[in-house]
Amino acid sequence: MIAWLSCPVIGIAVVAAIWGVVSAVRGRPPGNAQFYWSFLTELAVIVQSVVGFVSIGRGHGPAETATSIGYLAGIVVLMPAAIWWGISDRSRYSGLVMTIAGVAVAVMSLRLLELWNG
Amino acid sequence: MVDPQPTRSGPGRVLIAVYGLFALAATSRAVVQLITDFHEAPLAYLLSAFSGLVYILATISLALGNRTGRGLAWATIGTELVGVLAVGTASVLAPKDFPRATVWSVYGIGYGFVPLVLPFIGLFWLWRTRSRVDQPGRQPGR
Repeated sequence: MIAWLSCPVIGIAVVAAIWGVVSAVRGRPPGNAQFYWSFLTELAVIVQSVVGFVSIGRGHGPAETATSIGYLAGIVVLMPAAIWWGISDRSRYSGLVMTIAGVAVAVMSLRLLELWNG
Repeated sequence: MVDPQPTRSGPGRVLIAVYGLFALAATSRAVVQLITDFHEAPLAYLLSAFSGLVYILATISLALGNRTGRGLAWATIGTELVGVLAVGTASVLAPKDFPRATVWSVYGIGYGFVPLVLPFIGLFWLWRTRSRVDQPGRQPGR
């Protein structure tokens, strides 16, 4: 059930990751549009986690419940951490931190997909 | 005597982010494993918990960036390197003893081999930012 949700999340997160590399290569700190995209990424991640939790609550979750809960909970803290970092440290390296968060969100969403499709 | 460059400056920030991510990944993995089925593979799960602890300490020590943090970073990242090589080799030679994966199993294959590369980058970064007596007034990150 989560595929229609996780695929867009992965796409948005990959764009955030690439954007981070581009801003770092250009030697600039993350710009406004990049922050908005990070917020969009986080929004998508939150929707995914809420839907995931509800589906587990209704008994439609994957067999590995504990692992799924770990992923659904852990994934929501990544982007806020990167955004906070990007605001407090105005250097090119903040873009790479956003890249790391974006890649991690994409990989974790992929793992969630695998878990759900068991 | 030139003071060492703080480990949290410049690219060091990216390194701290990656270590923080692995601290989160390894620790939560270990918590789930220890809570759900500790009896199935106690050795693998305790190694998971150990690797999580190593990543947490490495993250904190790199973020501290001072002399104390630097010493702790050498120790924890050195431990990480030994750990990933030892657990990686053991899991290849005796897979039966590692029925459940840890972050370091098969040199971190489940995490794109990042756990194998990361300690080398960490040690290189510590070496790169070390204190140097021969170059007063050098530019950081020359």
